[in-house]
Amino acid sequence: MQVAMRPGQRGGSINVSQIVLSSDLCTAAVPVKVRSINPEYEPEINSRKCQMIPFTRHLKLGVGLLCGLAMCAGAAQAPQHIDIKQLSTTVEDVVVPLPNEIFGALNKLGAVNWKQHVRSDKGPNFTERPRIALLLGTVIADGFIAVQAEDSATVKEIGQRVLALAKGIGVGNSITPHAKAIVEAADKRNWENVRQELDRTQNSVQQAMNEVHDEKLSQLVSLGGWLRGTEVLTSVVKEHFSSDGAELLHQPDLLSYFLTRLKAMPEFNVPIIRQIQDALGEVKPLIDVGNRRIPPESVKKVNEITTRLGHGIVTRD
Amino acid sequence: MKRFAKVIFRTSLPLLALVALQPVIFASVDDAQSFALQAAEPYVKQGFQVREDYWGGDLGSGEKKAVRQQLFKGNEYWFWLGTEVDRAKVSVHVYDSDGKLAEEPDGWEKGHFAAAHVIPKATGSYFIIVSVEESPEERTHWALVYGFR
Repeated sequence: MQVAMRPGQRGGSINVSQIVLSSDLCTAAVPVKVRSINPEYEPEINSRKCQMIPFTRHLKLGVGLLCGLAMCAGAAQAPQHIDIKQLSTTVEDVVVPLPNEIFGALNKLGAVNWKQHVRSDKGPNFTERPRIALLLGTVIADGFIAVQAEDSATVKEIGQRVLALAKGIGVGNSITPHAKAIVEAADKRNWENVRQELDRTQNSVQQAMNEVHDEKLSQLVSLGGWLRGTEVLTSVVKEHFSSDGAELLHQPDLLSYFLTRLKAMPEFNVPIIRQIQDALGEVKPLIDVGNRRIPPESVKKVNEITTRLGHGIVTRD
Repeated sequence: MKRFAKVIFRTSLPLLALVALQPVIFASVDDAQSFALQAAEPYVKQGFQVREDYWGGDLGSGEKKAVRQQLFKGNEYWFWLGTEVDRAKVSVHVYDSDGKLAEEPDGWEKGHFAAAHVIPKATGSYFIIVSVEESPEERTHWALVYGFR
């Protein structure tokens, strides 16, 4: 959602140095010095401003203390440990990461040949809305992959494909400006803007769906993106295995979230939905390993499963 | 028939009022989001990608809310919390799945803005705890946005 900033109020006014300053003041004693009055002037001062001197002292002390307290409150320490179980009633649903969040972490583990994972085939046109939603999520994830590969032509094709799919699901109007912006940014090879527009596209699609109470379709968009992201992640890690790469698969709460959501979609009588539900049940024990490491065999297995599902999403039954 | 029309009229009035007030309610959360985005603004220049999506709601003074989030080792995250209520004081802190504080020491709180910085030591679920510490309002809207690089 695009929300205009309030005029005259800028977040930039907060900076780290101010925070450091507050922290220093909190840890140090409040530096208020009460100077003794020169006895030579004391009678004069007392005669003229006898009430002012103690007032000034108190004012100094008070202001100093208040500032110190206020600043200490501003940098209050959080408890080092909390009981997570006590939060159970106030926990929001797990937040589904964008595919490029995973790709970013993957990039830091070593160079990835993103071109190898670029996919631009248009695929069939579905009429079932759940299938379109899944495909839409997958295509947006393909957009993020094309950005990683800096493949301008594919990004532009994906922009058009996203628009066509969004129209197919009835939310085309909210996507048109983003699709246009994706194409323009790809032309200029402004990859940061393309990434931002892909994020906006997914957000707008999901918001438009939520507004017409199609939350379940919105969840399928997220699921489609997550599956495609996991397919690519496992493909990369499978080729050049590392424990850190495999650890990126450690997403048990996310998987439980998707499983719960899929169980609540009995009305979507589409084979691919049930196939995904069964397959995620297979994936769960492979990645829900607690503090243990995820072995290469598990990565390979998850890759087989997600590749199979990915093929199912883009292929007509 | 008249009686039926009266019943319909009476029951529809509160509904109409709710529909009319709905944009106002949402506008407040949207305002909170604009403040959270303002807090995020300087970090974009440092290469953080700020997600379009956001989480929000309303809380009473002293109330907390947890948002569960998957974080990836290798990425660096900032979470920014904002509220539109001028004299409110909010906080945001991040804990790992064992309930251990997982944030860097450079997080900050300033009036109706707060931020927490996380460099995850492990990939997995984390809990983002948002809290309205003080507020002159009975309920205070909040919005949480995050960025990563």
